[in-house]
Amino acid sequence: MTYASDRAQIADLMARYLFAMDYLDCDAYAECFTEDGVLDYARGTTVGREAIRAEAAEFREAIGRIFQREDGSPAKLRHLVQHKSIRVDGDRAWHTGLWWEMTDGGPGGALKPESFGIYEDELFRADGRWLFTRRKIYNEFLPGRESGTANPVRAMANAG
Amino acid sequence: MQVYDENYAADRAAIEDLMARYLFALDYNDMDSFIAMFTPDAEFEFARGRVAGVANILETVKGFKQRIGEHYKAEDGTPATLRHVLAHTAIRVEGDRAWTRAQWFEMADDGPGKSLKMGTFGIYEDQLTKIDGHWLFSERRIMNEFLPGRESGPDNPIRSMDTAAGA
Repeated sequence: MTYASDRAQIADLMARYLFAMDYLDCDAYAECFTEDGVLDYARGTTVGREAIRAEAAEFREAIGRIFQREDGSPAKLRHLVQHKSIRVDGDRAWHTGLWWEMTDGGPGGALKPESFGIYEDELFRADGRWLFTRRKIYNEFLPGRESGTANPVRAMANAG
Repeated sequence: MQVYDENYAADRAAIEDLMARYLFALDYNDMDSFIAMFTPDAEFEFARGRVAGVANILETVKGFKQRIGEHYKAEDGTPATLRHVLAHTAIRVEGDRAWTRAQWFEMADDGPGKSLKMGTFGIYEDQLTKIDGHWLFSERRIMNEFLPGRESGPDNPIRSMDTAAGA
């Protein structure tokens, strides 16, 4: 497998992850992680695929209260991933990517950009399939969850 | 389940290029390039309905473009400059057939003082066919979360894609 091949597969994983998240598909979300995968985001750190599945279900219940339209109904939330820096070394890979999110919760039901941040990921190829072993989600709008001032790609280059 | 074989990266790269060319053709009103991206019997579904065959698709999209020109106006009444933007794209490939689920949004210069204003968002649900080495759309469904009756979901769109591809 070449770098292009690994990169294409990891890009597909990123897209499948976001569709699972935004359409609140807890099973598909959990399946993006290895058995011992770690999710580190605004709500805390969760270890293991089954715990991540449970966390996704809790997120599904909570999200309608976090993002609301003017009338108080749950807003549609969409996460988007933009440029992706991906390093591959054998069956291990690292990803640093820019994300942002938007809803239909703006004035008069308009599109509202909500926040942005970065993903810092470690991936592992298990049985021919790339999965997250660790996903850390930084959000520049949440105190304590900012990505910081150092170029995150340097940390990725030195990992492993 | 998608088996990522040695051809996946090449197919994915070609399909991503097609999806970019589609948006440039649409936003720059290049209907010849636009219609060349569909198979002769392709089906196209969006806010104004569902049509089949390139002649009908072309006629429908021309009407759509005209309506966009009337609907999207800058503050001074001139037609706004509209850009569709593609974000993450899941692509399933099985031989000479492929499927996508892709996030899009749109933006224009129709904000206050001709500033950038975000419009709407939704997803593409595509079927593609490789003909003579070229990937073409055989079906494109455009879902828009801001148009009642045209919303995607509520189920994860990836599931219908994988089902269409034989799971």
